[in-house]
Amino acid sequence: MSEPAEFVTIKLNGEEIQAPAGEMLIKVAEDNGTYIPRFCWHPRMKPVGLCRMCLVEVETPRGTALVPSCVQPVADGMAVETGSPVALKAQEGVLEFLLVNHPLDCPICDRGGECPLQDQVMSYGPGESRFVEEKRHYEKPVPISDLVLLDRERCILCARCTRFSDEIAGDPLIEFQNRGNGTEIFTFPDEPFASYFSGNTVQICPVGALTAAPYRFRARPWDLLTIESTSPFHTEGSRITVHASQNQVLRFLGVDNGLTNQGWLSDKERFGFEFIGSPDRLKMPMIREDGEFREASWGEAIGLVAARLKEIVERSGPDAVGAIGGAQGTNEDAYALSKFMRVAVGTNNLDAQLDDGLNPDFLVGVGSRARIQDLESAKTILVWSADLKEENPILYLRVRRAARELDATLIVVHPARTGLDDLADHKFGYRPGDGADLLADLAAGTQDYAPALDALQDGPVVVILGRTGLSEDGGLAEAVASFARDLPAASIMPIVRRANTFGALDMGVAPSLLPGRIPARGASGAIIELWGKVPATRGLDTAGMLAGLVGGELEALIMVGADPVRDVPSGSKAADALRAADFSVAIDLFMTDSAAMADVVLPAEGFTEKEGTVTNLEGRVQKVNRIVPGPGQARPDWSVLDGIAESMGSPIGLPSSEAIAKEISTVATAYEGVSWDLLEGEAREGAVVPIGDVRQPLEYIAVNAEQPARTKGLALHLARTLYDDGSAIRHSLSLAKLAPGMTAGLSPDQAVDLGVEAGDLVTVSIGSVTFACPVRIDRALADKTVAIPFNQPGIETLDAAASVLVKAGGSS
Amino acid sequence: MTDHPLILTARMHAHPESSHTIATYEATGGYTALRTALDMGRDAIVEEVKAANLRGRGGAGFPAGVKWGFLAPARPAYLVVNGDESEPGTFKDRQLMERDPHQLVEGTIISSLANEVNHAFIYIRGEYPKSARRVQAAVDEAYAAGYLGANILDSGYDLELTVHLGGGAYICGEETALLNSLEGRRGEPRLKPPFFPAVRGLYMAPTIVNNIETLSNIPWIINNGGNAYSAIGPEDSPGRRMCSISGHVNRPGNYEIVEGITWRELIYDVAGGIRNGNELKAWVPGGASAPWFVPAEHLDTEVTKAAIDSNGSMTGSGAVIVMDHTTDMVAAAERLVRFFAHESCGLCTPCREGTTWLDMILRRMLAGHGRASDPDVLYDVSDNISPGVTWPPKMTTICPLGPSAVSPVASLLKHFPEEVAAAVERGTQVPVSIGIRS
Amino acid sequence: MTDTARWSEESEALAESVMAKYPQKRSALMPLLYIAMREDGYLSEAGMRRVADLVDLEPAQVSSVASFYTMYKLEPVGKYLVSVCTSISCWLLGGDEVLEAVEASAGVPSGETDESGVISPEHVECIGACGGAPAVQVNYELIEGLTPKKATELVEWLNAAQPATLNGDEMQALFGGERSFDWAINETNDATGPYPAFQPHGTIAALDRS
Repeated sequence: MSEPAEFVTIKLNGEEIQAPAGEMLIKVAEDNGTYIPRFCWHPRMKPVGLCRMCLVEVETPRGTALVPSCVQPVADGMAVETGSPVALKAQEGVLEFLLVNHPLDCPICDRGGECPLQDQVMSYGPGESRFVEEKRHYEKPVPISDLVLLDRERCILCARCTRFSDEIAGDPLIEFQNRGNGTEIFTFPDEPFASYFSGNTVQICPVGALTAAPYRFRARPWDLLTIESTSPFHTEGSRITVHASQNQVLRFLGVDNGLTNQGWLSDKERFGFEFIGSPDRLKMPMIREDGEFREASWGEAIGLVAARLKEIVERSGPDAVGAIGGAQGTNEDAYALSKFMRVAVGTNNLDAQLDDGLNPDFLVGVGSRARIQDLESAKTILVWSADLKEENPILYLRVRRAARELDATLIVVHPARTGLDDLADHKFGYRPGDGADLLADLAAGTQDYAPALDALQDGPVVVILGRTGLSEDGGLAEAVASFARDLPAASIMPIVRRANTFGALDMGVAPSLLPGRIPARGASGAIIELWGKVPATRGLDTAGMLAGLVGGELEALIMVGADPVRDVPSGSKAADALRAADFSVAIDLFMTDSAAMADVVLPAEGFTEKEGTVTNLEGRVQKVNRIVPGPGQARPDWSVLDGIAESMGSPIGLPSSEAIAKEISTVATAYEGVSWDLLEGEAREGAVVPIGDVRQPLEYIAVNAEQPARTKGLALHLARTLYDDGSAIRHSLSLAKLAPGMTAGLSPDQAVDLGVEAGDLVTVSIGSVTFACPVRIDRALADKTVAIPFNQPGIETLDAAASVLVKAGGSS
Repeated sequence: MTDHPLILTARMHAHPESSHTIATYEATGGYTALRTALDMGRDAIVEEVKAANLRGRGGAGFPAGVKWGFLAPARPAYLVVNGDESEPGTFKDRQLMERDPHQLVEGTIISSLANEVNHAFIYIRGEYPKSARRVQAAVDEAYAAGYLGANILDSGYDLELTVHLGGGAYICGEETALLNSLEGRRGEPRLKPPFFPAVRGLYMAPTIVNNIETLSNIPWIINNGGNAYSAIGPEDSPGRRMCSISGHVNRPGNYEIVEGITWRELIYDVAGGIRNGNELKAWVPGGASAPWFVPAEHLDTEVTKAAIDSNGSMTGSGAVIVMDHTTDMVAAAERLVRFFAHESCGLCTPCREGTTWLDMILRRMLAGHGRASDPDVLYDVSDNISPGVTWPPKMTTICPLGPSAVSPVASLLKHFPEEVAAAVERGTQVPVSIGIRS
Repeated sequence: MTDTARWSEESEALAESVMAKYPQKRSALMPLLYIAMREDGYLSEAGMRRVADLVDLEPAQVSSVASFYTMYKLEPVGKYLVSVCTSISCWLLGGDEVLEAVEASAGVPSGETDESGVISPEHVECIGACGGAPAVQVNYELIEGLTPKKATELVEWLNAAQPATLNGDEMQALFGGERSFDWAINETNDATGPYPAFQPHGTIAALDRS
């Protein structure tokens, strides 16, 4: 990958050209302006040369030969004719063969109008078919999962979907079945194509054989408006195109940003678009009156919020107000929140994370932060974080690729089974709470850990770290980082889950930070010139604010795209806090469980309805764009906050998103020069904001090895799943039903101790919450541990810190 | 041909009821070649096999010693014996496995030794359980006698030999498809390049794939010397080879021949002539894939690799299928095309779609619904599978199976155009379709 | 991958021994499929799931392999699988007529199983008995040189006698004619079901025919 390419000279259609030795002919030709038709070849998958569409004539010592250009590496002196009569006849012949059994039902095919088969028949195919026999017949279409339908009559058996599922996603759930003329793509009976990445197969299918349930029959491609944007679902910042018609967003497609998602999307970020058009979106400001919400005008609502906040600040001081959220919007929204809290209210009580992430000072201050692309050259990768497959699926694909295709040594540390375990060279589990012991053993290279420690001496090393579960102390990740930074050529990638958390932190949505990752204490320079004096004391984080509401030190809470009742790993405490609040306001897309407890709820514009920037987990800033208007009277977060500030008499002067972007690049040094023009022009793959100017030297926090509350009884491993009961999923009808629901993961021995088997019901009590759910056996779990998925439909939000009990039996 | 001793079938003729046992095998000189080979050392074995100019008996006819020379140096390396005999008309390996399995096992051990292989496999087609039983019994006996396993005959050489039964797929006779199958995958051929077995074969390790008959010659070559072998028959295809004769002859069967006789001698003398005194119409000279020969042009040509090649066909698997004057040649072609369509792996487009299309046209013609355009379409579909419709074939396909289906169509159009025309004439010119999938 | 139902102790032991013969366990997939067939009489979904579990594959990968090959029967078949060769050499000498006789006698067309679950006729491509054409296999034990009449008698005999195991020599003597070559050696193993009879799969019954 990183080795400099040696160049060879080949003759392409009579013209001499230079090409990197070993590059496949099809790619070389394309790079030099000659398109060779193809179906099975895909730039992100290994070539297989089976559709035979890309046959060209190559001169060999024994005369010319027809070779498939997708599997023919270029060699010095090679002479190639891509359009000779023999090559053209072969190409035409292959297309005629492909049409022999193709139903030509283009008028009712989703792919019609953007179909590679249609296009290539138009350019290279025969005018008519001589086939007068009967075509193959299959039942059509067959749903092969909740999201994907298969039409085997349209299928041309290029194996793109099966290769993607096996090689890229690691979910070989669809495969060639039968053989010869009866070959078909299919699943195993009763084993649906339940892959987190299934939608990619729809996108790369060169015909309409695979279609997506959420998009099927919704539009003709020529009626769609399209913009490029950045996915709002994962911290990797996948590049996408958004397609809309008649003010309705109808689909997202992956865009190949070679440095991030390489064209792939998780199904959550592909099909999660449905929440945008949900009928449940908030359309009008709502004010609680006598316990009931009523619609209000923006003027009335903003006036009320401003008045109540002003009253509380005047009565109890600015530190009686706090704000949670900002990680679901744009950097511009986050900047507005940061400025609003510091300038209009005058407090550092704000937090973009929901007590489920990592120390913000650590997140922005970690030295030698890894980029995703570093995985391409890594010799060794240590993943000590949440299950990437569940929380950072694009990073999961990239780590898979590094381990599988690029031969990196993979070390996975996690208390339960993870999606990467099968590829891991070393997998270490531990009982939640015992991570520090494991780290000490790994660092010492004691017996079992010696090979892994040896591998970690083989750099470059990339260390991906984060909280393995919600019940784990975030300080452990910092301890891992302090071990990792001394490894050779190590770069570190601390990860969190919520989409624009890194952007929000960069904008200072944290108790200790100002925009540009500078500490609030002792801040100076452009930002102080513009903002004036800012509070110096460290503010409260989310947990502190919730406790503060209960304790009375905090009186008002602003929630910006945040739903603490569902998302904080002690949800019942969040509800108590909201009940105790003197005043609370939610700026959101939906009437979330938290918004439903607020005094005022303000409708916000969401993704695809507003323009701005976001920052991914490696500090890559990318643009998001607007293609549809928001519902009803929804407004962007920044505009709502600007209005409230104005009404409070403490204006923050933010007239437009673009103006905010300019202000950010003025006050946040790291963002200097990162303009919208740049992101839409030269920096199409995004601009990574430099980390060099870290003014806050990182001080690693020693992790508390003792977690006595859990050492005697059961330890709880509380972890998120890709699909859960979060509000975007809840309002994406295609995805809502995919949340796995509650299960209790037990080690085999633990199950034996309890006298239960896989599928048996057990009764689980976590703190005050008790529920019955089936047992799942997880061989990777330590004994005396129970693994529970977080935030599942129909279950109260669980307290990660509560004690846990499991009993056999129960009724669901 | 009686001037030369039998090589492959001598023992089974002399000891018909016990030629498969280790007792008879040892009593008739069995496993002495292995002892000799262990003393000779690897290079000397390879030299003898090269000197023998033993050509592969699976179909391609490539010299075995030269093939061994291509084996990449990385180890482990594997030897895979191709016992997936499935080419219509061919039943010689079955006889060698059932009747003299130790000869094969000894040949396999010596060949493994010569190539520094410590694990060999004998892949036997699934429809030959009897062959597999006999070979497995021989392998078991060889292990017990110390010819297999660790430290063979105290030489320090180790070899494991696994007998593997196929699942019913002709394509697995193609060496890379066979390797996929042996790895527990679909028997789809691999791309060559880059997956030449000698470099990236079984488990991506260097691998030799040799045919049953090829390796059954090895003990004789070691015992008698490569030069003695190459002295038999024509210079460029020496030795004895098995010829399976079937169809409309009086004495079908396997014959261990020396090349150089004429087709007339083979069909009329060796195989006893045509049944009922009928007229010879055509024959397939080297397995179902081989272009047909017809009496007017080929009856007095020689049965040698050189002559068969220069006459536009191939020795192939050595199977000769004889057809008399009663044969409907359109139907015969359809039978052959049907086989290849049924056995196509389905991976590459021209073979998957084209072979079945050819078969559908021929079936429609036979059903009395031929169309005037059929001969041209038959030819052009063939041309899109095998450009130029030449022999040896060019290919738009991954492997030669597709062109193999073209071969009988090309032979039909070339030698029997009047039968094609008659079939078209019977047609009603009404477009009909007949489903043929089953 | 989930835990699947285990086979009989004997089959599980066979599976272990088969897997031990290969450097990589996936190579044992095809032999394991035969063991699965022996368990259920055909290759059931449960059987494929068990094989998937044993070699660490998804069931779809196992069925992808199994369905490629003709001998893995994914639907139940009768006690006797009667495979009639209709490839070129057998066709030249009446293979189609033998097939018709078998179908007529069994009362069902190729690819189906008679009502009582005894006979499953099928037409197959070349089975390597071209010198003894036309040829038939019953549970993969060969009979060469049949005639339509002998084929009818064969099916009638199978229906009437319903032998627990099948011996090739015996069937050849009763119903066969000209052979590709002299079989010479007494066959001392019997086939036990509609799958190939081979020791490592545990699918033979050894005879004492002294």
